[in-house]
Amino acid sequence: MSMESVTALAPGHGDPAGPPPIDRGRRGVRPSSFIRWAFLIMVALYFVVPMLAMARFAFQNVPTALLTPEKIFTGWSMSGLWAALTDPQILNAAKTSVLLVVFAIILNLVLLVPLAIVTEVRSPQLRPFLTAFTLLPWVIPPIALVVGVAATFRATVPWFLASVFSLVPFYALWAMPFTYRALDAGLQAISARTLYEAARSMGASLGTIIFRVLLPNMRASMIAASGLTAAMVLGEFAFASLLLKTTLPTQMVTYERSDPRGGLALALFVMLLTALSLGLVVRSLRRRGLNVQTTGL
Amino acid sequence: MANVDMIGIRKAFGASVALDDFTLNIASGELVCLLGPSGCGKTTALRILAGFEKADRGEVRVEGRDLANEPPEKRLFGMVFQDYSLFPNMTARQNIDFGLKVQKKSATERTSIIDRMIEVTALQEHADKFPHQMSGGQKQRVALARAIATSPRVLLLDEPLSALDAKVRETLRDEIRRLQLEIGVTTVFVTHDQHEALAIADRVGVMSNGRLEQLAPPRELYENPANAFVAGFIGTVNRLAAIGRSDGRWDILGRTVPGNRPAHEFITDVAAIRPEQLAIDPVTDGGASVVSVSFLGPITRVIIEDVQYGRVFADIISADASGLAPGQSVRVRLRDDVGEIVLIGEGE
Repeated sequence: MSMESVTALAPGHGDPAGPPPIDRGRRGVRPSSFIRWAFLIMVALYFVVPMLAMARFAFQNVPTALLTPEKIFTGWSMSGLWAALTDPQILNAAKTSVLLVVFAIILNLVLLVPLAIVTEVRSPQLRPFLTAFTLLPWVIPPIALVVGVAATFRATVPWFLASVFSLVPFYALWAMPFTYRALDAGLQAISARTLYEAARSMGASLGTIIFRVLLPNMRASMIAASGLTAAMVLGEFAFASLLLKTTLPTQMVTYERSDPRGGLALALFVMLLTALSLGLVVRSLRRRGLNVQTTGL
Repeated sequence: MANVDMIGIRKAFGASVALDDFTLNIASGELVCLLGPSGCGKTTALRILAGFEKADRGEVRVEGRDLANEPPEKRLFGMVFQDYSLFPNMTARQNIDFGLKVQKKSATERTSIIDRMIEVTALQEHADKFPHQMSGGQKQRVALARAIATSPRVLLLDEPLSALDAKVRETLRDEIRRLQLEIGVTTVFVTHDQHEALAIADRVGVMSNGRLEQLAPPRELYENPANAFVAGFIGTVNRLAAIGRSDGRWDILGRTVPGNRPAHEFITDVAAIRPEQLAIDPVTDGGASVVSVSFLGPITRVIIEDVQYGRVFADIISADASGLAPGQSVRVRLRDDVGEIVLIGEGE
């Protein structure tokens, strides 16, 4: 027992004479809570109302001008969505997009996993620098990036931009801020540095530590990073459009021109599918005791 | 098993000096606790010993051999961290196995070592559980088993009990000491908890500001602190003025007693008087009054305001303190059985 703990027995000693603590009222609605909920509901409406309107337009074959209360349950149909889903061009574009997702995830992880690990366990003083650096892709607008890259590569390796898979490096770069943050959060969550030091004190080499200790415990964050990359690639329009490639998003825009209802139905469907699969991934990880700590998931 | 010498170690992080001319010699099989407030350099000392930090100056020797060029993975030290550091993807058994696999021991040898480790740490029921299925105390026992499974030359414990609750902390503390004595491994135990250090160490090194203030067995540390910092850090202490006499003894609290250093006439020094070395007489002209009385079970702590000595803490056997109340006039005196006082002032 120290002197301090004894003198601390006398209450109120040295207490600054501040105002009494605010009673966070136990009854009724607190003003701060009311504002919070009102704000939340407003934001929710801002997002949900357009989507509901979009869903109505996509699935109910009644022009908005003729929509009256008694017609609210008539004309609903999934045929537009079905037509879109069976359209061969859409299917092709979807296949391309799925491949792009896979390659972008692989490239991203191959580049960033070793970087994140080495930074965390060997030179943690570089973390703030990397956190800032990995945001750079979002500072440069896609148009500038594409024009710069196109000008350079068309002159040097023209075949590179000919393939639809020339989008992969762009997507990997574009997803870097998400991926790095997810991986970094994952390393923090497992106290990677302590695990690294514990393993080293037992004589393990860096390779053993990475493959037997760190990577198996980074599964959750790698899946989170992949999920975010997938969502991003499935919704990316600017790069593909600027480089004149046909991906699911660009093909959806083309399709919508010929069939606005089907196009919108498809857009909604893809959005729901993406959200659902992300949600399922996170749930399955949580059920296995793996905590996913990434903003947005 | 090995003796460890840290000689003249200096380590600075930027402008702040974590260790300054730090020297520590540990005998083979000894358990030394490094004790000090946070930021005193005790963890840095441990990390330099483990090889995770490089000293700016000085040497680390194990069995007389300089370790300067040996990375942590070559030192054969076992280490236990405050935040468990168990591999989350492995069961208790697999965690213990990790170091043995790295050492390329045969499967039968590994199994027999693991079984023994599980037995000595009483983990039988938890051997196949994953870390997230275990309590803090169980996890730390696995970490301990894992650290000693590889037969380390030196065992390093970095605040291993700080994250546990009081009851578990005490049990595990005694368990660590029992195991350490049983296998006879040289051990360095870093803690900020003086009770922990005093309870299990052969010797305790009290640190402040990157320096070793005193390295001594627990009892000597308590009874004969080397300086004001150690006296104040270990237990509670009253710093009271003692007045020197020409016969070499000191006048304090109405008694004349010898000190750990001789007095000269007319000099004053600061004596470290433990609360339990004081007695209280309920008299009206004692020059002191009771400020507060706290019942702590077997003893009662009484805080007294003395005209001459200021605020004084006294620990009285509770049976003798029943009559005391705040505001009461008393006299504070040094107990008759105190034969010698410890002076901690700058002296002369």
